[in-house]
Amino acid sequence: MENVLSIQGLEKSFKDKQVLKGISFEVKKGEIMAILGPNGAGKSTTIRNIMGIMYPDEGKVIFHNHTDIPRHKIGYLPEERGLYKNVKVMDMLLYLADLKDYPKEKAKERIMYYLDKFDLNGKENTNLEELSKGMNQKVQFISSILHEPELLILDEPFSGLDPVSQDVFKDEIRNLANKGTAILLSSHQMNLVEEICDRLFMMQEGQKIIYGSLDEVKTEYANFKCTIRGKNKLDDLKAISEVQRVEQSEDVSVLYLEKDVVPIQWFKTLPDHLNIHELTMDRISLHEIFVDIASGKINQEAGELHA
Amino acid sequence: MRNAMKVAKWEIKKNLKNKSYLIGLFITPIIILVFGIIGSLIGESAEEEALVNVMIQDELGVYEAIEEMAEVHDLGWTINRTDLSEDEAKKEIKDTEETAYLFINQKALDNGAIPVYMSEDLDEQFTMQLQAIEPPIKALQMESIGLSEEQLTKVASPIVFAEQSVSDKDDEKDKGENQAEKDPLERIIPGVFAGIILFSIVIAGMYIFQSASQEKKDKIAEIILSSITPNELMQGKIIGYFVLGILQAVVLLAFAVPMALWKTDIPVLEYIFVPETLILVLIAVLGYLLFAALFVGIGATMADVSTTGNFQGLVMMLPFLPFMFATPVFMDPTGIVAKVGTYFPFTTPGVLLMRLIAMEEWPWMEIGIAFVVLIVSILIMMKLAGKIFKVGILMYGKNATPKEIWKWLWA
Repeated sequence: MENVLSIQGLEKSFKDKQVLKGISFEVKKGEIMAILGPNGAGKSTTIRNIMGIMYPDEGKVIFHNHTDIPRHKIGYLPEERGLYKNVKVMDMLLYLADLKDYPKEKAKERIMYYLDKFDLNGKENTNLEELSKGMNQKVQFISSILHEPELLILDEPFSGLDPVSQDVFKDEIRNLANKGTAILLSSHQMNLVEEICDRLFMMQEGQKIIYGSLDEVKTEYANFKCTIRGKNKLDDLKAISEVQRVEQSEDVSVLYLEKDVVPIQWFKTLPDHLNIHELTMDRISLHEIFVDIASGKINQEAGELHA
Repeated sequence: MRNAMKVAKWEIKKNLKNKSYLIGLFITPIIILVFGIIGSLIGESAEEEALVNVMIQDELGVYEAIEEMAEVHDLGWTINRTDLSEDEAKKEIKDTEETAYLFINQKALDNGAIPVYMSEDLDEQFTMQLQAIEPPIKALQMESIGLSEEQLTKVASPIVFAEQSVSDKDDEKDKGENQAEKDPLERIIPGVFAGIILFSIVIAGMYIFQSASQEKKDKIAEIILSSITPNELMQGKIIGYFVLGILQAVVLLAFAVPMALWKTDIPVLEYIFVPETLILVLIAVLGYLLFAALFVGIGATMADVSTTGNFQGLVMMLPFLPFMFATPVFMDPTGIVAKVGTYFPFTTPGVLLMRLIAMEEWPWMEIGIAFVVLIVSILIMMKLAGKIFKVGILMYGKNATPKEIWKWLWA
């Protein structure tokens, strides 16, 4: 797949603090690429530098082999977002489409289409201040995709959404990617990202921690874990082969297994005297990987996975 | 520039669809109209009350001449003859109001002092008015000492100081001066016209301030800035509110001009359409640009208008600074205060307008320098405002301190 956007060695400092320390990644046509990281990791700063709202101290932002970014080909939903209050939905969206040089008639059609799709039919002449927060966020989302952008940048698109709206957004984002839009989204809600992203870039304190496809990251870091309900001695559990560490709270013990464990073979090594009421086996979630990395339980020098 | 125009169009449309803006648009002129009407009602009734009864005992036959003078000077007197003696009049006057007795006889003429008995409520103003009827009595006095008609005319006509021109263009200049002397309205009306425009667009400039700050409050700035540059957004706002300000001026003038035509006999329109008006309006427009740049920059530093800090509040007062200069400038339009005011950018438009209204001959050299000062300040202010705007507009949720603003300027 061709690269729509590539970021090369982005560096940015505020006052004495370096916020971005050489960030590099690509976003390809038709894929969903996620930037992950805790608050203050530098996600929004990276995005603002891509959008030309800030300028990097070092490094390049390249869109289709050009360094000047055609703003009308990019859709953007900032983290801190809002719309004028005292304005009708239709007027607001037409204005934003006009700023992107999108033809008015076509914009009107698409506005009606999306209002309908997002359950906002009949709201086009309503003042924005009369809409609920969720509805407002839907209108904001429409504004970012109205002009059929080639590249869509979403900064924390799911923050503040109820679960139903989250699903609506998730489906539409997937839908757009399938139609060929390159999508870059940032989030700290790992579970949601895990469900939709193709590749991910995890960062902390302005630095890359992991970069690769979701599958690769999972095979690399998401080892199996085995959760056992039942009273067992900590030492007994630790003695089982291929167990990295054990976390125990009351009756539940979680056994984190080593990387290349083959589940069936491993089950056979369990001692007979274990007290088991329930037993589940699954992979560590992105969330846990992230927490582990952030807290230093996994080696930070993980390096790049080639996507 | 194309994007700036889009923003301008949007700002205009947004405001014109906004009820509170529309109300504001018409409320100022309506207030002026209402006060004008009330004022004229009060004025009229005051005039009626002011009628003074003037009783004259005329032994010398100047009654008609006095009547005529009173009419010419519009003194508002009711004049009647009286046969009362001075003593009787003295008694009579105690029980009356708004009445005066004048005794014009040979004795008074010889003394050069005419006895006047006034009711208590009459004040100095009446004494001043009496001066208006002095000439016919003076003439009588002259005649009585035996001056010829020719001598009389000479004595009666005051000596004037006729200024002689030293330049070559004698005639033209004389004409010009005479006209100017004849008609101070010729300068005042275009000045007031430009003043109304300046006032309206400076008010619009304050809307810019609100608009820039609202942009932060609504958190829409970043969405807009993903399509256009901060400079385009800023220019768009300045242009948009300029048009809105002109609209306000047009509405104001649509009330004020017919009012002036109705209340006075001044042919206002003739006075407005003179070349001088262009210069005055240009001053007003430049004034707007300066304040618009200032306000858009400051607006971008504030998240909430209601929590204006001291610094921002101070800046908001700048457009009203020329009012502090008003008295000294009108008293002495070429004085030091007027000159300082002319060259200090924030007071230039206001002070220059006042001076040009007050002065008969325009100091072209100073006007030229003032224009240069103004234009250079506008360019600098726009540049600085752009820098502040770029950073400030994305700083959500808090007001910038002067220290921070200072840093952005040099970033």
